[in-house]
Amino acid sequence: MSVKVDKTVLASVALHVLVLGWAMMSFSTRALEMAPEDSVPVDVVSPDQLAKVMAGMKSGKKENPKPLVEKVAEAKPVDDAVGKITEKAPVVTETAPPPQPKVEEKPIEKKPDPPKVVENKPKEEPKQEPKPVEKKPDPVKPDPIAEAIKKEEKKPPPKPVQAAKPPEPPKPRIVERHFDQSQIAALLDKRDPSRQAVTGDTLNSNAALGLAKGAAADNSATWGAMFKQQVTRCWKKPYGGIEQQKSEAVFGIRLKRDGTLEGMPVPIGTPATPYLRVYQESALRAIIECQPYKLPPAFFEEWKNFEPAFTEKT
Amino acid sequence: MPLRLSRRHVLSGMATGLLMGGHAGRAFGQAPKRIIVPEGEFTPLPIAIPNFVAGTPGDAEVGVGVSQVITNNLKRSGLFAPIDQAAFIERIVDSDKAPQFQSWKQINAQALVTGRMTRQGDGRLKAEFRLWDVNTAQQLTGQQYFTSPEYWRRIAHIISDQIYERLTGEKGYFDSRVVFVDETGSKERRVKRLALMDQDGANVRYLTKGSDLVLTPRFSPSTQEITYMEFGQGDPRVYLFNIETGQREIVGNFPGMSFSPRFSPDGQRIIMSLQQGGNSNLFVMDLRSKSTTRLTDTPAIDTSPSYSPDGARICFESDRGGKPQIYVMAATGGGAQRISFGEGSYSTPVWSPRGDYIAFTKQGGGQFAIGIMKTDGSGERILTAGYHNEGPTFAPNGRVVMFFRDPGGSGGPSLFTVDISGRNELRVPTPGFASDPAWSPLLS
Repeated sequence: MSVKVDKTVLASVALHVLVLGWAMMSFSTRALEMAPEDSVPVDVVSPDQLAKVMAGMKSGKKENPKPLVEKVAEAKPVDDAVGKITEKAPVVTETAPPPQPKVEEKPIEKKPDPPKVVENKPKEEPKQEPKPVEKKPDPVKPDPIAEAIKKEEKKPPPKPVQAAKPPEPPKPRIVERHFDQSQIAALLDKRDPSRQAVTGDTLNSNAALGLAKGAAADNSATWGAMFKQQVTRCWKKPYGGIEQQKSEAVFGIRLKRDGTLEGMPVPIGTPATPYLRVYQESALRAIIECQPYKLPPAFFEEWKNFEPAFTEKT
Repeated sequence: MPLRLSRRHVLSGMATGLLMGGHAGRAFGQAPKRIIVPEGEFTPLPIAIPNFVAGTPGDAEVGVGVSQVITNNLKRSGLFAPIDQAAFIERIVDSDKAPQFQSWKQINAQALVTGRMTRQGDGRLKAEFRLWDVNTAQQLTGQQYFTSPEYWRRIAHIISDQIYERLTGEKGYFDSRVVFVDETGSKERRVKRLALMDQDGANVRYLTKGSDLVLTPRFSPSTQEITYMEFGQGDPRVYLFNIETGQREIVGNFPGMSFSPRFSPDGQRIIMSLQQGGNSNLFVMDLRSKSTTRLTDTPAIDTSPSYSPDGARICFESDRGGKPQIYVMAATGGGAQRISFGEGSYSTPVWSPRGDYIAFTKQGGGQFAIGIMKTDGSGERILTAGYHNEGPTFAPNGRVVMFFRDPGGSGGPSLFTVDISGRNELRVPTPGFASDPAWSPLLS
């Protein structure tokens, strides 16, 4: 198989790559950066967050805060510990009812067509609206299948009246409701279960209601509040007098899974005044002193690397 | 089968690729999440100050003394919480070695001061100290000084200033003195003497004998001279007193009473009030040329002048509006602007060495209060109030105000300090009753 590429196409490709590449570099502004989040350190989860973040087991209990973990391994939460059977076709047994013809719904789907009727009749004088509605059947007429279905639909009502006659289709329904012990084996699904062990850091045999997934949305309001609460306890803020100074000290920090610092926090920015230097040092002392931090392991991917910003009122 | 790539195919493929690439780049290049830690509560910094190591066996006593003076200074500032030595786990035996930070972490110390005092062969005293950050295990500062053994307290104050400055970002104020009026005897026969002491109340020296009444002493910027008012045989006069030599001289030879003197920031002039009939006006006298310049000329009592740190303006008290209020004008005279508008009357204004505030005594509602306001009169803040508080003076760093309080009755006045935020009010130890304090600039 040979590929023929025109030279003009190649030139066009190259030009477009250049132009689009330049555009990406030039128009990628910082406007999309997230503004510093201004969260309130309370353990309130909005319904929206709940829907996004929490995907626990319906059968879990509220009292179980820890995630269900049956095997210690790389965290791999499972939505539902019960195995799912989705790939194979439904098992057909002798007693299973024959597939039901879905004829009843089709006529209903066809009904939305009438608007076309209005369009097909523009030549006629603009009569009152109800009349075009009356003409609905006209375009349907060419469709013989729909007509046939409609006729069939009209028939069923009299059928119950003629129930005395022994038509075969209704019979299987009655048979289905009977419990035949001898047929149980045939109803059983003989496939292997697809259940998998739920893994995590520590064993926990209790199923929990609502667990966070690793790939969940932004949970920084939750673990961020926990971090703030802990680091504030160690922060001996220097005395800045009565003047309101706008002080800020930002650090880049990396945490291990156990909540200890992976290395020394890296100050971001250079303090401009002696007071700001002291302010930055006080925050640094607090970060170091307060480790290890107790943060939710499920959000480790989020809090393993973040930037605490210590600020003053402006 | 030949596959033809049309331009549209290629472009659509490229566009898809670029879009996906953009998303992937955003995902991989995600900036770390920023967590805002809002303003914390101010908490005094826990600091451990073990006794300074003795360089020779005879230096043990001075080593203990230096650490005690530093501990007392930092504690009284209200910004530090020195840890009781009984809680120390490690005993510092060599100030040149890094301490075992873990043992200081265990007692929650955030800063540690180690040092050594050594008598030199020439009789001088060598003082060394290091300030450590316990959490980062780093030395924040370190110095060594040489001095005569009798000045070990000053060395301790200087080290205190170094620690204070390094840990707060503000200049210290411990290596400074206070001149005040020492009062002894019964209320009817009160003897008032000029006295000088370290800011912590130590090393009190009496400058006058008490035969004449003295008032309103003020330091010169060089800290070597004091100007004050003394009731001698005739009218009260402004005097100049040299601390080192003990000599004194009358400032100018004016008819009538001269009072409320204060040095200009450059120490070359003295500004004061001169009585003229029922009024008093502000005059400034050049100490070298002895020339005098009138600054105000009003049918009112203008008094208690104080220069701004840059020497460009002065604040003073005047009753030209009916009640004593605070006014600000250029140091060369001219139009004055009233800046105090609260209820009651305002007196004894003094400009902060930082230039940001003016402290005052406010009288009203049967009380005397000490307060501060910005130099434009805004942001008035009462620091303390009571029966009789008067005569504020700023510490060299402008962070602390000293004043005197007289509870009335048979007692007498005492000196107090308070932070300019109104917190950490403390009594300053004096041998007897004390009033009219004036804080010196830093000695070094």
